[in-house]
Amino acid sequence: MQIPQDLIETAALKLKSVQSEAEFFQLRAQYLGKKSFVVSAFSKLRDLESDEKANVAKELNILKNNLAKLFEASIEHIQSKSDHKKLDVSLPADPFLVGSEHPITKISQKIINYFTPLNYQIFSGNEIETDFYNFEALNFPENHPARQMHDTFYLNSNSKSEYLLRTHTSNTQVHAMLNEDLPLYMLSPGRVFRCDSDTTHLPMFTQIEGLVVDEEVTFGDLKGVLIDFLEDFFNEKMEVRFRPSYFPFTEPSAEVDIKFGKQGWLEILGCGMVHPNVLNGCNIDTKKFRGFAFGMGVERLAMLYYGVTDIREFYSSNLDFLNQFPS
Amino acid sequence: MKIQYSYLKNFLNTKLSQKKLSDAFTKVGFECDIEGDLIEFDITPNRGDVLSLKGLEREFCAYQSTKPLQKLQTASLQPIKDKKIINQIDSTGCGNYHLMLIQGLGKIKNLDSKKRNFIESAGIPLINPLVDLGNYVMLEIGAPMHVFDLSKLALPISVQFPKAKNTSVKVIGGDDKDVKSSSLTIQDQSGIQAIAGIIGSEASSVSLKTTNIAVEAAFFRPEIIVNQARKYALATDASHRFERGVDPEIQQLALERYLFLLNQIADYDSVALYYSYSRKTKNKNVKLDVERFNKFSGLALKATKGITILKNLGFKVIARSKNIVTFSIPSYRFDISLEEDLYEELLRSYGYDNIPISKPKSGPIIKNRQDNVLDNLRLGFVHSGFKELMHMPFVSRESFQQLNSKEWTAAELQNPINENEPFLRGSLFRSIFAAVNNNLKKGYTSIKVFEAGNVFRKEKIGFTQFMHLSGVIYHHEPQQTWSQKELAYDFFSLKAEISKLLQTLGFQNFEFQKATPLMPFNENALDIFIGKHKIAVIGEIDLSVTEKLIRKQTYGFEIYPEKISTVPANLKILKTSKFPLSTRDINIVIDKSVSFKEVDSLISQEIIRHLISFNLINTFEGKDIPKGSVSMTLRVVFQSKTKSLSESNINDSMQKILKLLEKKLNAKIRS
Repeated sequence: MQIPQDLIETAALKLKSVQSEAEFFQLRAQYLGKKSFVVSAFSKLRDLESDEKANVAKELNILKNNLAKLFEASIEHIQSKSDHKKLDVSLPADPFLVGSEHPITKISQKIINYFTPLNYQIFSGNEIETDFYNFEALNFPENHPARQMHDTFYLNSNSKSEYLLRTHTSNTQVHAMLNEDLPLYMLSPGRVFRCDSDTTHLPMFTQIEGLVVDEEVTFGDLKGVLIDFLEDFFNEKMEVRFRPSYFPFTEPSAEVDIKFGKQGWLEILGCGMVHPNVLNGCNIDTKKFRGFAFGMGVERLAMLYYGVTDIREFYSSNLDFLNQFPS
Repeated sequence: MKIQYSYLKNFLNTKLSQKKLSDAFTKVGFECDIEGDLIEFDITPNRGDVLSLKGLEREFCAYQSTKPLQKLQTASLQPIKDKKIINQIDSTGCGNYHLMLIQGLGKIKNLDSKKRNFIESAGIPLINPLVDLGNYVMLEIGAPMHVFDLSKLALPISVQFPKAKNTSVKVIGGDDKDVKSSSLTIQDQSGIQAIAGIIGSEASSVSLKTTNIAVEAAFFRPEIIVNQARKYALATDASHRFERGVDPEIQQLALERYLFLLNQIADYDSVALYYSYSRKTKNKNVKLDVERFNKFSGLALKATKGITILKNLGFKVIARSKNIVTFSIPSYRFDISLEEDLYEELLRSYGYDNIPISKPKSGPIIKNRQDNVLDNLRLGFVHSGFKELMHMPFVSRESFQQLNSKEWTAAELQNPINENEPFLRGSLFRSIFAAVNNNLKKGYTSIKVFEAGNVFRKEKIGFTQFMHLSGVIYHHEPQQTWSQKELAYDFFSLKAEISKLLQTLGFQNFEFQKATPLMPFNENALDIFIGKHKIAVIGEIDLSVTEKLIRKQTYGFEIYPEKISTVPANLKILKTSKFPLSTRDINIVIDKSVSFKEVDSLISQEIIRHLISFNLINTFEGKDIPKGSVSMTLRVVFQSKTKSLSESNINDSMQKILKLLEKKLNAKIRS
């Protein structure tokens, strides 16, 4: 009798592609069932000569045992494989809500992330401030026309000092210069208020100002850090223009414009070397230390970055608007 | 300031296109916008000296490194001092006062059309040739002038602050103005004839019948004029210039120019120029240390180059020793008094864009850099599916009272944008409720939002601001999912959400306590403490304080990030046990008045050997449970560090817990 040599190999191969218990038992019947080669071969043994019978019987037994072992070994694997319900995995996920930071937070964070590796410390400061920190200490003398550039909200108070909503975050810089050790590298992000409201202005907006007071700082340092920041922010080489301007707390002062696509030159931030009156007022030795400062409107940067055209959208709480910002 | 390009181009004798000319001015600090044939100059408040053609010419010539081209043609007059014409001038408010008296004017022609167009396009209306001429000279050389009808003046003139209270004057245009005692005035023998630098009286104004005029040119000190115009709601071209500073040395020139141009449109019988100085303004001197400038700017400028630049701008060298040069400052440059002011002039002319840049510098290493609690919380909420919102802080009186206790005094604005919202918020919830309402109207059914921002309180002295992070969960799905899963959100979902967040952020040691009443929460609320600090309140929103913005069950939280310390607790990492956990359940029946918190603290505070943790896994009321009682199933977990626990080890500990519950809380043990 001819015993096929590759019976075990083909059985093993077929077992590998078995997906369910049913298939498994079908296959097992094929190899070990009544009609299988092994079982039918046993029944044909009696037709053989006795010494051939003994040899074949021995071989068949080995084969049967090996087949049995093979099937036994894979039954557990197949059972655990088929121990689940088949799903329509294309059905929708359970409902879930997607969170996200406000775009103004995201852009603020993006700005801060440029400056923190340069060891700029973050100070948030007071939104209600006295006239001294918001104006006087920043070289806005009383009755100076520069104060008219800031439409200021004033508060009713019982105190002698005049309280107001800060018109810029520069107030925080005065606190820091008075209280912190030099050299000082700082960023003051926060909300500021102007008594002004139309399609391009809001009574509240977000500013981030930077200040460095150190020995040997130059106007070239100021330019260097701002150009690098802008290129980091927009992630491309930028055409940047510095032009003279006026802020009472810096001398010289500059506006920084960037060339932005078809819109041409756009004013993006203000900056300058800290005015000696401001440094002196904060008891800083101007023979030893100099400083530079810069400030930017976060909403404006966010509008450019995301292509938002109406500034009021940011404060509309409109989920249709907010859903468009990735987290 | 708007200037006709064609007029300016002729005046500057330049061939530059409108665009190129605008760019040139923008480059040196005078931002330009093009509007048809006009160039609109954005002149910063420190540069009143540029508010004229002459001023622009000075800047343009310095930019081109040339000397100013032309001298304007003028008449020539010998000024006279006469107390019968100008009696006295107040020295604190007025530096000099010039009055040109012209009598016997004949027929007066209009100014030529070029001049008229030029004046009108600058935004100044044409009134009367005599007045128009004054405005023309103001635009040309920067000195505001006022023309009185001489026959209506009772000379002499004096320049002084009003002595009587509540002095009223009818100004040009017909409005009556109460003149403030801080306002400098021009008075004749009959009273106030002008508010200095702002506007003249109706009574002494010129008309088409006028034949005798008095033309005024003066130097009123900027600090006296500033803010005055606003007080009368009268911002005039004159006041705009006076408050920024008018050259105190050009009054005679301005009047002589006026006379020269008047000759072209009218005849007259006589003219005389009177003047009075209170004290002459001394020219300032400022030293420039070129080496110091180079350190400041990062440039390597030579002293000679610096001198050339400043000379072109009208500065005069009065002394020099090597690199230190002393300059005399022109009378019209009110903005220059410090060495740094000269730096700006040098850099401006040199071109900011030509200054070499250096690599960004780092500050000193920040010691003890702390995690920002607010940022971490914010990200935690975002990852839990919350949208961050931002709102204006202005609220109405009603909203404020709804959401703040009586002890919380509002910070109130003197000049709110919207008079219905004069208060600064004392709670973030009003805008959050409105945000939920707006989005419900759009069809949203599940909303999780939060906002981080300051709230404000008025104190006996000053104000306090507190950082809050507040949010709500409005969860009302109209139906279940296709998989029939329960998706309800309740108080305990909130409790889990906040616990998970706080623990994930590393605040392990917080504790829930019964809440002290706080708006907008109802009695289903909890305070969260870390040590002695209340760091948050969570709970169900009391719908009666939402001003009908929300009408269905909503949960919320108010967190105080400033109260959460960022100093990390001293972490000690313990060795873990190699032995298995043993879990047992305890069933007790307990009076319903006993809160779980009592069960929890009782077990937590007792030392029980091998107890690792315990948890409430089931509560049950009803069948087999006496009325007024509740059954609780606690799952307790034991483990030893040194051995596998035997049944008797576990039983000892179990007994201890059971006895404790029986004794202290009168619990009945169910088997």
